[in-house]
Amino acid sequence: MAQKEATIYIVDVGRSMGERRHGRSVTDLEWAMQYVWDKITTTVGNGRKTANVSVLALRSDDTSNELREDAHNSNISVLSRLGQVLMPDIRSLSDSIKPSNTNRGDAISAIVVAITMINEFTRTLKYKRKIVLVTNGTGPMSDNGLEEIQKKIVSDGIELDILGADFDDPEYGVKEEDKDPHKVIFTPKKWWESCLCSLQTHRHKMRACFVDSLKAAGGTYGTLEEAIAELETPRIKAVNPMPSFKGMLRLGDSQKYETAVQIPTQEEEGDPKPSQGDALTAVRMARTYQVDDPSAVGGKVDVERDDLAKGYEYGRTAVHISQIDENITRLDTFACLDLIGFISQDKYDRYLHMSNANIIIPERANDKASLALSSFTHALHLSSFYAVARMVTKENRAPLVVLLAPSINAGYECLIEVQLPFSEDVRSYQFPPLDKVITVSGKTITEHRNLPNQDLQEAMDNYVDSMELDHKDELGNDVLPIDESFSPLLHRIESAVRHRAVQPDNPILESPEILTKFAHPDEELVKNSASLLENLISKADVKKVPPKTKGRKRQRETEKPLSGLDVDALLNQEPKRANISPDNAIPEFKQMLSRAENIETIIGAVKQLCAIIESQIKNSLGDANYDRVVEELGTLRDELVDYEEPALYNDFLRSLKSKMLLEELGGDRRELWWLLRRSKIGLIDRKASDRSEVSEEEAKEFLSPS
Amino acid sequence: MADDNYVRDDEDFDEEEVDETSYRSVKDAVLFAIDISSSMLTPRPSNDAKKPTEVSPASAALRCAYHLMQQRIISNPHDMIGVLLYGTESSKFYDEDGKSRDDLSYPHCYLFTDLDIPSADEVKALRALAEDEEEACKVLKPSEERVSMANVLFCANQIFTSKAPNFLSRRLFIVTDEDNPHAESKSLRSASFVRAKDLYDLGVEIDLFPISRPDHDFNTSRFYDDIIYKTAPSDGEAPAYLKPDTNTATAKGDGISLLNSLLSSINSRSVPRRSLFTNVPLELGPDFRISVNGYLLLKKQEPARSCYVWLGGETPQIAKGITTQSADDTGHVVEKSEIRKAYKFGGEQVTFTTEEQQALRNFGDPIIRIIGFKPLSALPIWANVKHPTFIYPSEEDYIGSARVFSALQQKLLKDQKLALVWFIPRKNATPCLAAMVAGEERVDENGVQKVPPGMWVIPLPFADDVRQNPEYARHAPPDDLVDAMCNVIGQLELPKKVYDPQKYPNPSLQWHYRILQALALDEDVPETPDDKTTPKFRQIDKRAGDYVMTWSELVDENAKSMFGGTAATKSTLVKRGPKDHDAGNPPSKRVKVEGGTTNLDDDVKRSFERGAVAKLTMPILKEFLTAHGRATAGKKADLVDRVEQFYEEKI
Repeated sequence: MAQKEATIYIVDVGRSMGERRHGRSVTDLEWAMQYVWDKITTTVGNGRKTANVSVLALRSDDTSNELREDAHNSNISVLSRLGQVLMPDIRSLSDSIKPSNTNRGDAISAIVVAITMINEFTRTLKYKRKIVLVTNGTGPMSDNGLEEIQKKIVSDGIELDILGADFDDPEYGVKEEDKDPHKVIFTPKKWWESCLCSLQTHRHKMRACFVDSLKAAGGTYGTLEEAIAELETPRIKAVNPMPSFKGMLRLGDSQKYETAVQIPTQEEEGDPKPSQGDALTAVRMARTYQVDDPSAVGGKVDVERDDLAKGYEYGRTAVHISQIDENITRLDTFACLDLIGFISQDKYDRYLHMSNANIIIPERANDKASLALSSFTHALHLSSFYAVARMVTKENRAPLVVLLAPSINAGYECLIEVQLPFSEDVRSYQFPPLDKVITVSGKTITEHRNLPNQDLQEAMDNYVDSMELDHKDELGNDVLPIDESFSPLLHRIESAVRHRAVQPDNPILESPEILTKFAHPDEELVKNSASLLENLISKADVKKVPPKTKGRKRQRETEKPLSGLDVDALLNQEPKRANISPDNAIPEFKQMLSRAENIETIIGAVKQLCAIIESQIKNSLGDANYDRVVEELGTLRDELVDYEEPALYNDFLRSLKSKMLLEELGGDRRELWWLLRRSKIGLIDRKASDRSEVSEEEAKEFLSPS
Repeated sequence: MADDNYVRDDEDFDEEEVDETSYRSVKDAVLFAIDISSSMLTPRPSNDAKKPTEVSPASAALRCAYHLMQQRIISNPHDMIGVLLYGTESSKFYDEDGKSRDDLSYPHCYLFTDLDIPSADEVKALRALAEDEEEACKVLKPSEERVSMANVLFCANQIFTSKAPNFLSRRLFIVTDEDNPHAESKSLRSASFVRAKDLYDLGVEIDLFPISRPDHDFNTSRFYDDIIYKTAPSDGEAPAYLKPDTNTATAKGDGISLLNSLLSSINSRSVPRRSLFTNVPLELGPDFRISVNGYLLLKKQEPARSCYVWLGGETPQIAKGITTQSADDTGHVVEKSEIRKAYKFGGEQVTFTTEEQQALRNFGDPIIRIIGFKPLSALPIWANVKHPTFIYPSEEDYIGSARVFSALQQKLLKDQKLALVWFIPRKNATPCLAAMVAGEERVDENGVQKVPPGMWVIPLPFADDVRQNPEYARHAPPDDLVDAMCNVIGQLELPKKVYDPQKYPNPSLQWHYRILQALALDEDVPETPDDKTTPKFRQIDKRAGDYVMTWSELVDENAKSMFGGTAATKSTLVKRGPKDHDAGNPPSKRVKVEGGTTNLDDDVKRSFERGAVAKLTMPILKEFLTAHGRATAGKKADLVDRVEQFYEEKI
């Protein structure tokens, strides 16, 4: 459980905060609020009821606070009391935070008010208490009871952060020219000190005391500029590790040693789970169930949910399972972590990792287990082995095969556990070798246009060597920059949601740079290896295929079988193929086109296929022929793009559409039209073929629901 | 509670393999065409003295088909499979019973299993045929007249055209030992070549599984090189004809080795290659790109979800669910385009327009961009969040991609380096930082490729994903203790010191489908599962038992001297009763690593014997059950039941 929190933001809304300075496009207040809003909305986004937030306005026009009897506390207003902040609070806050018409109001008194509020709210309970003051530091200050305030802050454990707009921080590198004549001090620290000093007789004592007390309570000073710049670095939510398995790491039946606890270390869902729904009204899902019934209209009939039993598909056979047997297909297992055997570390292929990694540590407060597990970990490490084990995390869960790898660092040691693939998880797709080419006749050749020659290999070697990254850890070991890379989508959406909540009318923000830090190689690195890259490019001689010719039949050369036999010659001898047979339409159509010597033959072939398509639609019982029609239309389309006769296809498709919608092809064929739309076999537009007269918009329009 | 946060299965919906450009449906249909000749039916004795079985090539082919059918029900539940026997005396095709010889369209072609998603009955029938059951074997009678290959091919053409229209992948698996079917007739040969071209133009790929005869090597150049095409019609880059493969099947194997090599080579083609993404640029440097395709070679296979079955008809039928979305207030049906995503925030919903939503998710076009190189050792063993993606070059967008990719792959292999890449696999996919590592080609003992050569893109965790390690008290082990454990480990290497996934079928997945099969075929439900992941306990005991004893004594000694007796050991969770061994097993060499005085197991056992388990307290019950891998959820009565069950099982 996260700790309870009480945070009060004191926002200076004095008249001077409404000014724009130093060429900034926003007022001091708007600038300061960037920071405050980000902080508040982050809290809201966490959705925790125990995160209480309050906002005080300093130098406000009116006065509304618990201590308003005291004249010191005038021009301080409580805008929202401590509590969970929800959207209505955000709206009312953004309405009320406006520059006021006064510069009166004491910052120290505001702190006093905040302390009082926190005290009343949290009493002596365990809370994380925090006050954040954002100001441009041009207002007056009172020294009334300063010493007690300091003591109180320390004794209550309140963290006080003070952020100043236009506090010159020499270390941060902003110099401000048009200094307010009254503001002679340069750093926020000095500003505070001076404000206090100017009103204090025992200045030395006071100053040291206040600063120390701030430090003691974990407080910070800073400029807004720094604070806002820091906002870009995403905040990482700490997740408490939770054990997901407690049990014995066992070897065989003979050896058991005391409990190992397994704790998930990694992997968090990278995507904030968006809740579905319209802004105005939630969407309700309704499910209805249908079964095939050839006698019914449309071939399907609705069935009641109550008439349905649970079951599974075995092939196309439905297997229903009665309620008593509900778990019949579940393999009965008990939780375990049983060693199967050991494998060599250098023979392990790293890509076999199937899952996120967990760690295995000994049972808590069990010294003997710790010693035993440690000897196991060290032995694996020493003999360069990994262990393979069978793991069931809880009773009746599916067994997993996991890899156990030793991890021994200076400060920590554990076993890393990752899932390995089962035989069903491996798909054996085959690919030709990359270092040689095997010809059809079985000959192995090593010089081929698909293989690098020596020049190219050398150029590649040199380039790769020049692009070596220099990330190292403290010990000088090579590491990957994992701790500097943040989930771009997660943080971008979170920040967009926060931004939208506060400023519903503003457009979404650009992605912060830090999220895409690794989207491109380092500029310096690129510059240094530029000449080697140039060399590589020239040796590689890679040519981009112009988009228009992509997918086009290569020189209209027909494919030949392995032997190189000229099948076309054989085809020509077959006299009967003058007409396309509906049974063998696609091959015969393709072959007729490839043999065509003039446009008339092509037109003739297209006409024949079109007639076949129409008759198949007409004679289709329900949707029986639809897939065939889609295939034939798709083939027709592809071929006519290749043969640069898009008009033939477009004309046919137009007439087909109107015939279908007018129900001239055997009744209601809207379902087929819908299928054609989904299969994206609409008109051939100019993008697909430069001979087409159809614009992209026109093609889109043609497919859109009428 | 931990369970809920701790999701083991990686349900990544945008990882489904889709073909973005095609109008074809992403499904696969495989039709086996098995030659039934007398030589195919002649059993071949096995040389293995232990298993004197005889297997004929035809029966090996049928077993392979049966095996593939079963396997695809699990792995590709929506794909089709069929079995066509040719050269049989009898004939069977749609609506033709083969009785009147005159009107047969395809004589001596027997469509044994129609091309479809298999039904339980079809599985049963094929199994009967494969296992030589007499009744079924009436079919397996060779005809005296030679079957026309042109007819066989056109028969296959018609089956594909009518049963699997518009499928992305359609494959004809021919299993035969006849390398020259029409040696004597030129016209029959040409007719076959023409029909083969038809199949090619239809987009059907022919995969040949040749079997050599004891006295004659299968020679593809005599006939089959004229009907098989160099590239697969559906996948231009896939060489349909990988030479090393076919060489192995032509080995003049005896029955069993023939079956095994056939199985191995059919298994390697069991699924058609489907890409995860195509022609994504791999950017080696500014202005230098090549194109690659991505594939999922490793993907967790889960049992299909349960569905609803309608029992109102004669046979149970699967009910198709249709979801409609309606507005909560008015109840009127809403279109997909009307729905916007909202984020819960401060008790309300924050929304974006579709365009904004898209802009937020858009981090640029798909790309694999190399941002630098690192030694392979920089990739920590823990830095993993999910399965990797395999990439292989494609010449379609950039000519010359293959040679550049090859040069890079060889460099990374040689120097043991990895490339750090910015990885956006497809449009609107979440970008991530990934390690690209080179993978070597691996072949099995039959010379069939097991792991293809290429590169693997391993997504790295973000800083957000890395959790803090929990602290615990560590005790450095003395060297002799570590050495003792090294001895144990040295005894228990897996074969060849590698993990071979093929040896470990997923036990719960297999059990799930085994039970379904039994239910679907009305068979007895098997009693015990065949779980290959269970360690070989007896072997472990035999090989490493003595070393384990030595180690455990050392642990005891060290623990005593380091922690002094029992003080440091946690109180109760320490003892378990010995597992009862079967009478035949060697006596148990149980090692009690744990010290401690309380003996939980004995206590619980005594209570059980007195019938007083219910008197034990909840913490004791829970600890006992945890120690034995049992669930601890539920009320006290449930826990008591479970403990009693535990002992009852052992008696």
